[in-house]
Amino acid sequence: MDISSAIAEAFRLLLAGDADLWLIVWVSLKVGVLGLLLATLPAVPLAYLIATHDFPGRRVVVVIAQAFLSFPTVLVGLILYLLLSRQGPLGPLGLLFTQGGMILGQAAIGFPVVLAFSLAALQAADVRLRETALVLGASRLGAMWTVLRELRFGLFAAVVAGFGRVIAEVGSALMIGGNIEGTTRTITTAIALETSKGEFAQGIALGIVLVALALIINVLLAWLQGAGGFRR
Amino acid sequence: MSGGTQQSFSSLVHLHAVMLAVHGLRKSFGERVLFDVPELHIGRGQAVVLTGVNGAGKSTLMRMLAGLEPALGAQVTLDGAAMPLTPYPAALRTRIAYVHQHPYLFRTSVRANIAYGLKAAGMQAHDVAARVDAALAWAGIEGICETPPHRLSGGEIQRVALARAWALDPDLLLLDEPTSNLDGAAREQVIALVGDLVAKGKSLLMICHDRDLIALPGITRWKLSEGRLTVRGPQAKAAAGAEPAGRA
Repeated sequence: MDISSAIAEAFRLLLAGDADLWLIVWVSLKVGVLGLLLATLPAVPLAYLIATHDFPGRRVVVVIAQAFLSFPTVLVGLILYLLLSRQGPLGPLGLLFTQGGMILGQAAIGFPVVLAFSLAALQAADVRLRETALVLGASRLGAMWTVLRELRFGLFAAVVAGFGRVIAEVGSALMIGGNIEGTTRTITTAIALETSKGEFAQGIALGIVLVALALIINVLLAWLQGAGGFRR
Repeated sequence: MSGGTQQSFSSLVHLHAVMLAVHGLRKSFGERVLFDVPELHIGRGQAVVLTGVNGAGKSTLMRMLAGLEPALGAQVTLDGAAMPLTPYPAALRTRIAYVHQHPYLFRTSVRANIAYGLKAAGMQAHDVAARVDAALAWAGIEGICETPPHRLSGGEIQRVALARAWALDPDLLLLDEPTSNLDGAAREQVIALVGDLVAKGKSLLMICHDRDLIALPGITRWKLSEGRLTVRGPQAKAAAGAEPAGRA
């Protein structure tokens, strides 16, 4: 199949609502969103604690958090594979080659992104924001909620950036999920498989979906950055 | 020294019933001691202006009282109950309100800004609305109650911050240079609000260099200089000739 006919076939698959193709998209979104949720819940409060508390080794923690931004996803996959395999400490959970295991992998990949971007947003925040909440009588938890709400655009941007990272990664999804059709096959693992088989149409169709998602994410990021822009 | 008597703070006789007493307020950077205040008392209904040169530690001292800087080793006595100032007692959070030199307003309406502390205190919604209306009227800012903060002038921001603190009806108001960077009508309006607080017997401690604020009737003057807190002016003179009263 030449490139032009592969592209034409890709659009036909997309427009025809090919069930297999859209199931792959659904699995990707489900695993990505749940993994990101699992990452965001601890990452944002942790970023808040790091940003608002002075403690020995704080700078080291920040540097490590930022270093994990470029941690290879295939290495995350390897580590989790060893932990989740039958002989591994988490083997009895039976999560290897399941969506549950993939969600763990996506969470591990998304966590440093959400943490680092949230930390950047929090560190750039006006110090008087939290102080004002406290001097007006808010509890520590109430002050945290106020700060997070005030910085919501920056924090949403952190989550969106994390989503961009998890939806596009292939290493961890392939190693932990095993690329099982109908259950753990995602957009990226399917593209890799279809390409290796010489079946380009589905790969291109999924690639178009991935690019569309990337475009949506970037538009969303740009809008969030504009919405939370400088005060005049 | 000019303009009357200067007296060591620790030997000051109080003309007001003591509401808040703080002992052992000290700030140092390594070997360098910024200030060492063995004790300070603020009376109920007393209005105090704190002066001193830049870098004397006025803001740091005030931030310690507001719980924004650690005050290790300091003790606070509020209405007779003694407690450490660090960690900051939760009871003080609801009784002392602090207004920054350049106040921060949350990214919401003026009305919601004023309601914030009232909601944090657990006040019922209809009581919050009534109190916010009263605060807006007090500060003369009803016309901007739905305006987002980034559209407000410096004077309006200061008046909103004062109204936000006033709404809480705190036992003590801490104001850090409320008229700094203001001029003309905006400054006059803020002076009028502070003057109203003083006239109505609200306890307040205010850092300030504004002559018109310092000259408000009934103001006690403190000076932080070379690490020591002293009382200046006619109040110190009056205190020197009076019998001890109202010490905590």
